[in-house]
Amino acid sequence: MIYLLKIFQKEFLIYSRKSSSFISPVVFFLISISLYPIGISNDPDILKDLAPGLIWITILLSTLISFQNIFSEDYEDGSIEVLLASGQNISLIVLIKIFVNWIFSCLPIIILSVFSIFLLYLPQEGLRPLIISLLIGTPTICLFGALAGALSLGKNSITGPALMLPLSLPVLILGTQAINYSLNGINFFSNILFLIAILIFLLPIILFASVGALKLHFN
Amino acid sequence: MFQVLKNFYHKLGSYPWFYKISGKVIPFVGVLSISLIVISSIWGLFFSPTDAVQGDVYRIIYFHVPAVSVSQVIYYSMSVAAAVFLIWRMKMAGVYIKSLAPIGAAFTFIGLLSGAIWGQPTWGTWWVWDARLTSTLVLFLFYLAIIGMQSTFASRKSADTAVSIITLVGVVNLPIVKKSVDWWNTLHQPASITISGESSISNEMLIPLLLSILGVYLFVFFTGLLSMRAEISTREQNKEWFKKLSSNN
Repeated sequence: MIYLLKIFQKEFLIYSRKSSSFISPVVFFLISISLYPIGISNDPDILKDLAPGLIWITILLSTLISFQNIFSEDYEDGSIEVLLASGQNISLIVLIKIFVNWIFSCLPIIILSVFSIFLLYLPQEGLRPLIISLLIGTPTICLFGALAGALSLGKNSITGPALMLPLSLPVLILGTQAINYSLNGINFFSNILFLIAILIFLLPIILFASVGALKLHFN
Repeated sequence: MFQVLKNFYHKLGSYPWFYKISGKVIPFVGVLSISLIVISSIWGLFFSPTDAVQGDVYRIIYFHVPAVSVSQVIYYSMSVAAAVFLIWRMKMAGVYIKSLAPIGAAFTFIGLLSGAIWGQPTWGTWWVWDARLTSTLVLFLFYLAIIGMQSTFASRKSADTAVSIITLVGVVNLPIVKKSVDWWNTLHQPASITISGESSISNEMLIPLLLSILGVYLFVFFTGLLSMRAEISTREQNKEWFKKLSSNN
């Protein structure tokens, strides 16, 4: 238990000292959110309808950059090899790595998405489902991202991240639908429950698969 | 019975045995599948009755339905092979996934294309973001991801393992994708043929359709065997048994 806490501390320190890890997704998010009104239209009525989807897709794309970070440094300095050889429970360590990555790559964007009320004219009642669905939906996306990152370790190809996008389709659908439901006065709670169910269902499977993908690079 | 199956399974894992047996089976399967496809196409295009609602346009069903159904079956069979590869490390399963993925992608593409051609006169548009179309498109993207992943690994064993992992994660995710797009939007007509219960299609149209489905499945079996043989011969070209075999011919 204590070594897990130590690993958490270590990961947290590494991320907090490497400012690019959490600044680049945030910058990407803010820039693209402010580009939409310029590129599409500054009409509040049009933007209001598009806002839920735009925010979700932008978050999906801006987290894409950070997934290469989850394992790549540990892979290059050899600490993953040590962990794999140590006989510890690697899936828990992988889980901690994903969690810390989520804190630094997704959480700031989720907080910043509040600005979409002003920038994209999202109605105020849409804010609560937006934040809740993002809080529950983004961990699932991070799981897919970790798997993609583990598979494409040491390769600078777009195949890994691109693999993650079709997988995260259900999260995107349920998340945007929750916001649209609440804007139309429909109860969105069932969508949130489905998002939770998907997260719980996929968590062990993806962890297992990511550990398998990590082992792949050392045989 | 069980012993026979077990023997068969173990033999299936051996390259030389598979190469020998598949060489004997291929001509029969090829002739049978191509003749079935030709017969069912002629029957479907010229002799089956015109649809009361859709007119002659419906005849593309004889290409659309077999392609879409086989594209899903190929993916599920690939995921079984992926499990076999990860659990028992059977090399043949890796060969199977690698050779069947392009075939599956091709048939998914044929399905999407024929669907678009069918959709233009009946729905008035080439493409709609409908549940079934979207999940077929996602299936196509999965195939592309598998084919793309294949080429990023230098070692054959790690490429096979990586591809197996993706295939399994994909097959776990596929039902979720299907259900979620179902809630999202649906326009497509429901499936005409179900194994249990009444089919909503008349017998005169059903028989050529079943023949064409059978033909396409056999055709996939045929092309699958061919490309597996090609894959085996690239993997084993320096092995003793392969050299002996090719010097005999």
